[in-house]
Amino acid sequence: MFELFVLLIKVFVVMNLALVLASLCTWLERKGSALIQDRVGANRAGAFIESDKWFLKPALPLVRMMGWLGVINTLVCDSLKGLAKEDFTPEGTSKFLHAVAPIIAVLPILLAFAVLPFAPDFTLFGYHIQAQVARIDAGLLFVLAMGSVAVYGVAIAGWTGNNKFSLLGSLRAAAQMISYELPMGLVFVALIVVFGSLDIYTIVERQGELLWGFVPQWGIVMQPVGFVILLLAGMAETKRGPFDLPEAESELAAGYFTEYSGMKFLLFWLGEFAEIGLFAMLLALLFFGGWHIPWVTLPEGVWWAAVLGHVVLMVKVVFFCVLQIVIRWTLPRFRYDHLMNLGWKMLLPLSLINLIGTAVVKVAL
Amino acid sequence: MASMVGYLGLSLLLFVIGAIGVCIRRNAIVVFMCIEMMLNAVNLSFVTFSKLNGNLDGQIAVFFVMVIAAAEAAVGLAIILAVFRSVASVETSDAAELKW
Amino acid sequence: MTFMGFVLALCAVASGIGVIGFRNPLYSAFSLVANLMTMAGLYALLDAHFLAVSQIVVYAGAIMVLVLFVLMLLNLKVEGGPKLGVVRATIALGAGVLILMTAVQPIFRHFEGMSAINLRENAARTVGDVASIGEQLFGRYLVQFELSSLVLLIGIVGAVMLAKRKSATLAPRDGYQGAKEV
Repeated sequence: MFELFVLLIKVFVVMNLALVLASLCTWLERKGSALIQDRVGANRAGAFIESDKWFLKPALPLVRMMGWLGVINTLVCDSLKGLAKEDFTPEGTSKFLHAVAPIIAVLPILLAFAVLPFAPDFTLFGYHIQAQVARIDAGLLFVLAMGSVAVYGVAIAGWTGNNKFSLLGSLRAAAQMISYELPMGLVFVALIVVFGSLDIYTIVERQGELLWGFVPQWGIVMQPVGFVILLLAGMAETKRGPFDLPEAESELAAGYFTEYSGMKFLLFWLGEFAEIGLFAMLLALLFFGGWHIPWVTLPEGVWWAAVLGHVVLMVKVVFFCVLQIVIRWTLPRFRYDHLMNLGWKMLLPLSLINLIGTAVVKVAL
Repeated sequence: MASMVGYLGLSLLLFVIGAIGVCIRRNAIVVFMCIEMMLNAVNLSFVTFSKLNGNLDGQIAVFFVMVIAAAEAAVGLAIILAVFRSVASVETSDAAELKW
Repeated sequence: MTFMGFVLALCAVASGIGVIGFRNPLYSAFSLVANLMTMAGLYALLDAHFLAVSQIVVYAGAIMVLVLFVLMLLNLKVEGGPKLGVVRATIALGAGVLILMTAVQPIFRHFEGMSAINLRENAARTVGDVASIGEQLFGRYLVQFELSSLVLLIGIVGAVMLAKRKSATLAPRDGYQGAKEV
């Protein structure tokens, strides 16, 4: 009974984490893109709020500052706008599939957060608590599986749009997603060769050790090429960054999103930003030591070590979110054949060579 | 174990549903999908027996069945596409003559 | 069978009937995806963790995406042609029921020679986690593993060759129309 209770709390924490990361990325995107493009961005909603009620007065300066930073605009106004719009289904297609497609696009991404640990293990009141909703021994493979399932949301979304632009955009997006899953999977295999396990918690644990006595055995040290490949493949999976041709607003009439409005559109958006958070967390956990601070060994199993580890992990995750957003607003878009070229002719052979090289080095040493 | 009877019964039921689908449906791709369903039913049977026998041979067999099913899917769909180009239909009754 | 297993079994049968029942082949494909996911859940219940996840990656995530691509590219309408004859349907259903009734009997007999303790021990021993499956695949079944990779390669090459369009081999000249596309 207690395990069920702890599990429910963990699920709540992880869902919070995923959705807060998604909202954070949304706001970072708004304000960050504004800063990169040398403009101000949203800063009106809630910035001039006044009130006469005495119990609201202390909170008002904070609300005004958040409004000036654009937080209220992004989080409150966009959601309300999305909820208030007309729920439209194009005629001639199944209403059920049109409604279910955003769910299929979002759900796997949120599910993939279940196998990511967000803090080291700790003991509380004598109970050993794992800061991970599901510690399965095929954790990384589960993340790959969820990436594969997310393709269906895109494909169904484009098909139910019942027009050429949607279908074309969705097939392109689906082809892009499945093409970039291959280098991703091969990077995961190379990670198994180095760290010896598919369970993400074990991988992070092994990154705490020192290589040759002075270098922390982080993923970036053991697998630099793998890091680059996963960064690129991850950005292509999320259809972000320079790989966002499927949702190219100016070219394909918003691609497979075309027939979506209101809350369904917001669900797609949420899924996309949650996926940014997912890949940021994967990069932080697999390549940057997760919650380890280099050369610092914290006592194991103590609750404050877990909290500190969680904070360190979140700093790294936010760094990678910002990195993905900055890359997106800096680089121009790839053309579709360049995109597929990069995936099949450059990243896939590179990941294969990386795998073979890693195996050779591992056997030789 | 009595609990395994349920899995074996389910495997049989899915196999029979797939077999009925192969006989009834005329769309070549749907026939192909029913064959995949039959393969999956057999996979479930393999995994159940692996658990009953105490070794992993059944699960290895399932692994190989998945691999071969993937290869078969690629080739089968390519054949269907090639037939579609000459016959302009995926109904099995339209490709019943030995003429292209 | 646990409660979760029973629920998954119901979903599997429902989606299985959906595969053969829907007129639109695209809905059949989506039902099959649901079926494959429920099967993955059943494998997970039977402690075959690696198989459950690789079922989602391979079957539901790759094979069915390929089928979906083909269906969307062919842009088929609902199955046309003459309606399925009643005689044919009855024969198919009758044969199915006959197979079901015949083959279900051995299942319900007790497993002779296997005591309950034996079964429980066996069940506890078979946990299909990644390490054990890897040991078997790269140990005892290495030759089959390598051969299966060869089969996949042949499958890829064959699929590309079969699905390629034959392009015109001669350049169009005065009066010559060029080779027609096959």
